[in-house]
Amino acid sequence: MTPILEVQGVTKDFGGLRANNDISFSVQKGELLGLIGPNGAGKSTLFNCVAGVYNVTAGHIFFDGREITNKKPYEIARLGLARTFQIFVASGDLSVLENIMVGSFLRTHSRSVAKQRAEEIIDIMELGDHVDHWVSELPVAAQKRVAMATALATQPKMLLLDEVAAGLNPTEIDGMMALIRQIHYDMGINVMLIEHVMELVMNISHRVIVLDSGNLIAEGKPEEIKQNPEVIKAYLGERFVAQQRREGA
Amino acid sequence: METLRNIFDFSDFPRKDVAVFGLFCVFLFIFPLIPHSSFSMATMIQFLMFALYGMGWNTIGGYGGQVDLGKAQFAGIGAYTTAVMLIRWNVPFWVSAPIGMGFAIIWSFVIGYPLFRMRGHYFAIATIATSLVLLDVFQVWDFVGGAQGLEIPLKKMPSFLYLQFRNDAYYYYILLFLFFIGFFYINWFRKSRLGFQLRAIKDNEEVARSLGINAHWCKIKAYAIATSFVAVVGSFHACYNFNIEPEDIMSLDLSILIAMMAMVGGAGSLWGPIIGAAVLVPLKSYLGSWLGGKAGLAGLDLVIYALIIMVIAAFEPRGIWGIVEKARRKRT
Ligand SMILES: Nc1ncnc2c1ncn2[C@@H]1O[C@H](COP(=O)(O)OP(=O)(O)OP(=O)(O)O)[C@@H](O)[C@H]1O
Ligand SMILES: [Mg+2]
Repeated sequence: MTPILEVQGVTKDFGGLRANNDISFSVQKGELLGLIGPNGAGKSTLFNCVAGVYNVTAGHIFFDGREITNKKPYEIARLGLARTFQIFVASGDLSVLENIMVGSFLRTHSRSVAKQRAEEIIDIMELGDHVDHWVSELPVAAQKRVAMATALATQPKMLLLDEVAAGLNPTEIDGMMALIRQIHYDMGINVMLIEHVMELVMNISHRVIVLDSGNLIAEGKPEEIKQNPEVIKAYLGERFVAQQRREGA
Repeated sequence: METLRNIFDFSDFPRKDVAVFGLFCVFLFIFPLIPHSSFSMATMIQFLMFALYGMGWNTIGGYGGQVDLGKAQFAGIGAYTTAVMLIRWNVPFWVSAPIGMGFAIIWSFVIGYPLFRMRGHYFAIATIATSLVLLDVFQVWDFVGGAQGLEIPLKKMPSFLYLQFRNDAYYYYILLFLFFIGFFYINWFRKSRLGFQLRAIKDNEEVARSLGINAHWCKIKAYAIATSFVAVVGSFHACYNFNIEPEDIMSLDLSILIAMMAMVGGAGSLWGPIIGAAVLVPLKSYLGSWLGGKAGLAGLDLVIYALIIMVIAAFEPRGIWGIVEKARRKRT
């Protein structure tokens, strides 16, 4: 098996703060990888290093057989690595359809082709009711789907999702889970996701890696991760306690 | 074929808008035929010039969201190219205008590359600075007449080639022709790949970059497009006025008026620059002629412009067109 994404010894410092410390992992083609860890662990930073938003302090990153270390975000997007942002802000000048067309314009110069591809994705993402709305007018769940749809419209080989289930209710989480499965299996786009919503990430990931204070502390199948004492101590413990408290209340 | 269709595609606007614009176009066509004063003709010519300036500004400033306050330098490059080539080598307007446009585009690349490394207010201030520097250069450059500027010699006969007419209606129709080229170009541009990419950059530059958009290069391209519009109007200005002075064609006033008209009308919309010029040019003309006779009130027009900018910025950053759209959304 060949990895689609390979991260080798990536370190990222912000001044004196080490947000990622010597992180190595790889994602195989067809593998759905989850990335979890407590707040401030460095998960988004790692995505930003992979996607070229930040230059790494040390280490190498390979995507689809090519080195992409410290390439610019738009170069990496053109190679077929798409991503969503944890905080999605759209000032609202573009409608949902137009937003998604921006993505599809990456692969074509023709307005009609861009529109047609955007409409296909709108169908898949079930955004048909919202095409003419401004993104800022939509409920959170729909906004997250627009962000995903826009990234998908660039026709990527791999998609990085940063907390797309945050702020969703249980029904919406189920919908999101089905959607991610559809993207990964039916559309054949490798998904890697950062997620705090355990029922989602533990359900759909083939493998999970865990960050804590910038270090990769564990990696394995979801069942193994759930039982890993170090992970429970650093992260799952507080999560489970919080969840039990919620369920008890 | 698709391009041709897209140029004339207004399907995203309500029918009513297109009808109103159509009526307005009819008015523009017949205006010289109905009785008018020379003052109102001069005002209409100013309106068309500023509508074109504003349409150009709107590509980078409106759709791209990069507030450019240095457009006068490109009007100057166009005007000077046309004037110098005519005076020294007897080159017709229709040849010198594209050459002036070429010079202006080259200059826009030269300064655009570093300018677009800056964002927000820094960018706006830097555009002012570059324009003022070029103004200084032209004021001491003897080849182009220094601070005195240039006087264009009159031909014996009216000439279409040199844009010299006895009757302002000819200037008017040539400008109207340029206006429609510009208008339909922008109608295509706003829904082109570059148009979409610019709007995405304005929305959120980081997201745009993650979608494969080279934001820096897109802005430079849009800046060159904006520049082309402004340079051609500058060339026209030289022929229409028979004389150019650096303090006039390359002034900060002109740069600010261009940006202001587009913003007042509605930055980032097709109609915005036209509305802005239609409202502010007559105001500017009448204020100018009214204040001209009152020595103590000089500068009051600037105060009024400043007030308008503050009101727009405070209540509706998307200008008059933004107010119209808001009212519509409320009704539905
Ligand atoms: N641009 C930046 N400049 C300086 N420090 C940063 C920057 N981005 C992140 N950090 C710091 O790096 C650390 C890791 O942040 P990061 O956003 O990667 O965490 P995270 O794992 O995504 O957390 P969360 O689950 O809350 O999203 C934090 O301490 C954060 O304050
Ligand atoms: Mg994060």
